[in-house]
Amino acid sequence: MAIDPNANAGFMIAAYVVTAVILLGYGASLWFRSRKPPSRG
Amino acid sequence: MSTLAASAAQRTIRRGLVITGLGLAAMAGVYVLALCFTPIERFQGLPQKIFYVHVPAAWSALLAFSLVGIASALYLWLRDPRLDWFAESCAEAGLVFSLVMLTTGPLWGKPIWGTYWTWDARLTFTLLLFFLFLGYRALRGAMHDPGDRARYSAVVGIMGLVLVPFVHLTVYLFNTLHPKPIVLKPDSPSLPWEMLRTLLVSLAGFTVLLFGYVTTHYGLARRAQEQGEEGGHGD
Repeated sequence: MAIDPNANAGFMIAAYVVTAVILLGYGASLWFRSRKPPSRG
Repeated sequence: MSTLAASAAQRTIRRGLVITGLGLAAMAGVYVLALCFTPIERFQGLPQKIFYVHVPAAWSALLAFSLVGIASALYLWLRDPRLDWFAESCAEAGLVFSLVMLTTGPLWGKPIWGTYWTWDARLTFTLLLFFLFLGYRALRGAMHDPGDRARYSAVVGIMGLVLVPFVHLTVYLFNTLHPKPIVLKPDSPSLPWEMLRTLLVSLAGFTVLLFGYVTTHYGLARRAQEQGEEGGHGD
């Protein structure tokens, strides 16, 4: 039986937002690490 | 540290960042394609579109963990530190994609299965693989001698490789809630073309992103090693 196609849209939005945050966040962390030479401490 | 080696590491980092940028741009394209130009599945509705990020994340994670195992086995044979840096880079990227897989999966499961999580074979072994590589990271952080660190973590990496095909086969070996593969299977893919196209574009985008992450991290590991730092790469 077909369901309302817009039902539970929040789950889809949450999944796409979480994915973007994780992937962009890790990319940004690599970029910051590349800017900062490792300390010898 | 020689200037030549330093510039080679810097070049690798720059190349990795460019590939990462391309991968992230591809992901933006995947979002537009999945959300605006791909039909809504009749029975699941909008949550089915989680498929276009969940499956490619799982593919990238399992590919990364397989590469860790292969590089680790080669390291134990050849003792080339570049293989160790590569394995470490793949492990970290694999953890990132696993995190995407393990968060998007429950968000898809709740509206379709009625629960965020169930201890069935596929989900449990995937979580086990994630914890194994968290342990891999912890082990690397705890060991200061580069030779010992590479050797012991290589053993853990190979254990992860053994687990990867098992994770893929759990849906055939056990009764699980998790659906069987609809693309990587002996018959032709059972998806309408518009959905298959979006999935393939997303798989390509995630794979580019994986190689961007790995290349950048490899450059960082190489730079740290060449600067004589033991135990960490500035993170």
